[in-house]
Amino acid sequence: MNRSSIVALLILAAILGWFLSFGAESTRKLQAGFYQLISPFLTTGSDLEKQITSVRTGLKSLEELERDSNNLRVENRALKATNQALRDVEREVNRLRLALAYRERSVFKLVPAEIVTRDASTWWRTVTINRGKQDGIEGDMPVVTDEGLVGKTTTVSESISIVVLVSDENCRVAATVEGTREQGIVVGERVAGALTPLLDLNFVSKQANLQPGQKCYTSGVGGVFPSGLLIGAVKEYRVRELDGQARLTPAVDLSKLEDVFVVTGRK
Amino acid sequence: MIFFAILLVLVFFAQIIELFIPPLDWMYNAHIYIVPIIVFYGAMALPFPLMLALSFFAGLLLDVLTMQVIGPRVEIALGWSILIYTVLASIMHGLRPLFIRGRWEIHCIMSGICTSLILLSQYLMITFRRGSILFTPEAWWQIGGPGVIAMIMAPLMFWFLHTIGDAMGNPFLPERESY
Repeated sequence: MNRSSIVALLILAAILGWFLSFGAESTRKLQAGFYQLISPFLTTGSDLEKQITSVRTGLKSLEELERDSNNLRVENRALKATNQALRDVEREVNRLRLALAYRERSVFKLVPAEIVTRDASTWWRTVTINRGKQDGIEGDMPVVTDEGLVGKTTTVSESISIVVLVSDENCRVAATVEGTREQGIVVGERVAGALTPLLDLNFVSKQANLQPGQKCYTSGVGGVFPSGLLIGAVKEYRVRELDGQARLTPAVDLSKLEDVFVVTGRK
Repeated sequence: MIFFAILLVLVFFAQIIELFIPPLDWMYNAHIYIVPIIVFYGAMALPFPLMLALSFFAGLLLDVLTMQVIGPRVEIALGWSILIYTVLASIMHGLRPLFIRGRWEIHCIMSGICTSLILLSQYLMITFRRGSILFTPEAWWQIGGPGVIAMIMAPLMFWFLHTIGDAMGNPFLPERESY
């Protein structure tokens, strides 16, 4: 090993030692700064992804049209494609109208946000959203849709935030089950084989005897999540040695998230 | 140095692209990783100090883009990915003489194995932090799957990077005569 290699190795070791000594706050600041720096790339990437998906959908409808009517003239095909595009717009309008209605009837102050990236890594279930400090977002704010709880914000930069999903093992939510006095903690699976993994409701009593379909809401304990947000519905219940555990189907399809709301407070 | 700079740029964009590649649901949600292949190619095509710099950059990017900071806790502290990349890239660098002689097979296989080793080491760290050792078939798929994909992608990526290296006149490869 020559001298330059040894010097490079020593410099790397020094920087590594410095990084490893970072606390949570310094790490969060560095991460937020970096996300802010690359946010133009992320938003451009997200727009490109949407365009590619839209083109793919368009191609599919053309294929369907071709199957249905091989002999139709080009003008007819163009008209149908236009119709399809209008239907897409109508669907989009309906979706946004629903979201707006939810925002208006909600008792919370909600900041609407779009998903920029999702599932950045194998072991952590997170998404990034296009809202940050400049929109009043802070760390540990609940993120919801009109269907229920999505997760909470962790690292927040000026214009982009990371949201840890309720399906992540590190996102623990105090919960209560409808029609009972049962309380427990909802956690995600460490390794999920499905796009929408199940959640575990732990620490309920052995006598709970929860039934499939019973709904599970946030209890408000812990201070991060307000009470009454729908988390999911019981799929199965089993008694363990010391407590009972229920498996929940999340209320929100986390694999198809597009628009979410960040709860910034009460109205 | 131009080739090194190109590799840095490629690592950056590959890391961004990875964020937009959806996991493969038919492979238990295994992800596709491109960055390790570029780094491991760099480990063979670059001298030791530049290999360290490339590993550092890739590890730093991986850490800041994926690490989870919840409350006062960082699950895998900033720097661990740099260490993992450095160790694995150093192993690949040890196989450089074979690579310079034009034998790429071992390196393609090793790229896959090392990609899986990155995920395995992350998983072991998580398991250590969270307690309770869980090695389900899904976990093995999510560790092994990306490795297999990397192994399949490696020959194409190596050829692509090698072509760029040749076009840029990478000064670090002509050591071929000395072996």
